[in-house]
Amino acid sequence: MAETTIELRNPSGLHARPAATFVKAATGFKSDIRVVNLTRDAERSAVAKSMLGVLGLGVSHGHTIRISADGEDADEAVRTLREMVEAGLGEAIGG
Amino acid sequence: MKASVRGVPAAPGIAHARIWRLPERSGGVGSRGLDIGLDQAAEQAAAELESLEQRLRTGGRVDESEIFGAQALMAQDPELLDAARHGIDHGASAEEAVREAGEQAASMLETLDDEILAARAADVRDVAARIARILRGEQPPRLDERSIAVALDLPPSITAELDPALLAGIALEAGSRTAHAAILSRALGIPAVVGARGLLEAAQGGREIAVDGTTGELFIDPDAETLAEVERRSAAATVQSAADAELRERPLQTADGHRLLLGANIGQPGDVKRAIDAGAEGVGLFRTEFMFMGRATAPVEGAQAAAYAQVLEAFGERPVVIRLIDLGGDKNLPYLPVPPEENPFLGVRALRLANAGFEELILTQLRAILLAAERSGRQPWIMAPMVADLGDVYRLHELVATAAFGRTLSVQPKVGIMVEIPSLALIAELVAPEVAFFSIGTNDLTQYLLAADRTNPGLADRQDPLHPAVLRAIRGVVEGGHAAGIPVAVCGEMASDPAGAMVLAGLGIDELSMDAGAFGAVKRALAGASLSELQEAARHALHAESAKDARAVFESMREREREAVG
Repeated sequence: MAETTIELRNPSGLHARPAATFVKAATGFKSDIRVVNLTRDAERSAVAKSMLGVLGLGVSHGHTIRISADGEDADEAVRTLREMVEAGLGEAIGG
Repeated sequence: MKASVRGVPAAPGIAHARIWRLPERSGGVGSRGLDIGLDQAAEQAAAELESLEQRLRTGGRVDESEIFGAQALMAQDPELLDAARHGIDHGASAEEAVREAGEQAASMLETLDDEILAARAADVRDVAARIARILRGEQPPRLDERSIAVALDLPPSITAELDPALLAGIALEAGSRTAHAAILSRALGIPAVVGARGLLEAAQGGREIAVDGTTGELFIDPDAETLAEVERRSAAATVQSAADAELRERPLQTADGHRLLLGANIGQPGDVKRAIDAGAEGVGLFRTEFMFMGRATAPVEGAQAAAYAQVLEAFGERPVVIRLIDLGGDKNLPYLPVPPEENPFLGVRALRLANAGFEELILTQLRAILLAAERSGRQPWIMAPMVADLGDVYRLHELVATAAFGRTLSVQPKVGIMVEIPSLALIAELVAPEVAFFSIGTNDLTQYLLAADRTNPGLADRQDPLHPAVLRAIRGVVEGGHAAGIPVAVCGEMASDPAGAMVLAGLGIDELSMDAGAFGAVKRALAGASLSELQEAARHALHAESAKDARAVFESMREREREAVG
């Protein structure tokens, strides 16, 4: 089990394009990966490999999310996803 | 000719071709549902969407391609497919189950108070419809020859499948200028008419259709005479657009070089490219209502800010005038429960909402504009409509100050007002020192001054802003504004009418803002006369007996000009 907490800084939130990047990356791991939008609803988690689940978290600019993984590649999954969110998931983000 | 229908012009141009209709849903539910299972259908849908994404990406349509990339993931979404399987286990057909699952996912996205994510709801429904289509054993829609698409509405997945080389035009019974199909048409440079009520009935059994995307006219199975007229218009439009392209680089100025700023009126960020391509020197009117219509809750600050920032960034140093929402009881919005009014145009709307229990709605929009300014580093020009007197101006400044409270503003907004209520025109010089700019909304100013409802077609002949009373009101606003050293613009339809633009230049207006489609005609009109000639003609118009007489003065000047050129 591994987890991390990070703020999303994409200007338009986790909309279609960055969400697609995120989901595709998550799908590449064997572990069960879940995401929670701590800013909106800390009780509700979504499957990171589900586009609709991730979109449904309604992650806007400045929201904080928690990524957790359970499985043989859990550490690597959490580290990789965190790095991708930090780098803007393919979008330019302000400092 | 079989029939003609009129709709809303959504993309200019003229085309005549075979009618292509969206394939009807064939057979009953699950007619061929046994041949292919849910998982297989979902896989095929994802494959179709991925190849669409690829095709659009290599075709340079990157923004559109991303929608399909996201849709491809939705088609393989474990939650969507689990929900559909659950439905099948409970006795639903695969097609019913996937549609129901899509509907549930779409409603879930719609409840999120986020404009951008809520827009994905339509994408999910579209994906579910695609899987359902595959389950029915149907092929994706395609064109076999040059055709005009005639439909109730066209979802993005359909328009993207249609070969742009064969798609000659679009005619929709529903939809608005901002519908996806309309935006696509403008991007492809093909004509489109939307919101054409009665189209589907009129087109029943028809073979061909002619579309005039400039006037909004649709002719089903046109006769020889109509076709000749359509061809004449098409030829004239070709000549015109070549001449307009040549004009693009020229500024908006009189024959002797007196310049006016040329602004574009836009209704959403998607209009920006067309405005810039046409040579806009700024945005004179950014109508913000598009984000507020047809939804259950008001858009949140972040979603609004994203849209405003997009426009501010695109125009860079050039001014962008963002108009605060002009909404009222007539719009029937669930989050704006204004009691019914006899005269909504004279009622609680726009800035007046702030004093009627909806202050937060205005404050959220102001905060979003300030946030967009910070993110883009550009100065926004904030414009309030429905301002009647100094009390309203002070209230406006108070609202801006409240919205800015606790923020460090690196860029100060300019705060100005739309002049459309006659009372304000009468006291313009009292108000001018308190604001950064005036922009005259001639449509409402005319209807209020002449007491003629502009939504009543029976009063159309009483709507001419060249009426001497309207011109005198405008003169008063220009004098009041200039005495205080602030710019005075016009952002109503009058600015896009060649005769109107000429009289406005003669009255001393600093900026004309209009739909980008009118730039060429207005540049030509001003280039035909010197400033002193226009001033002289404007003086005549101020004393004309009627709008018709005033118009005649300018039409005769244009006639002279045409003769001189010819």
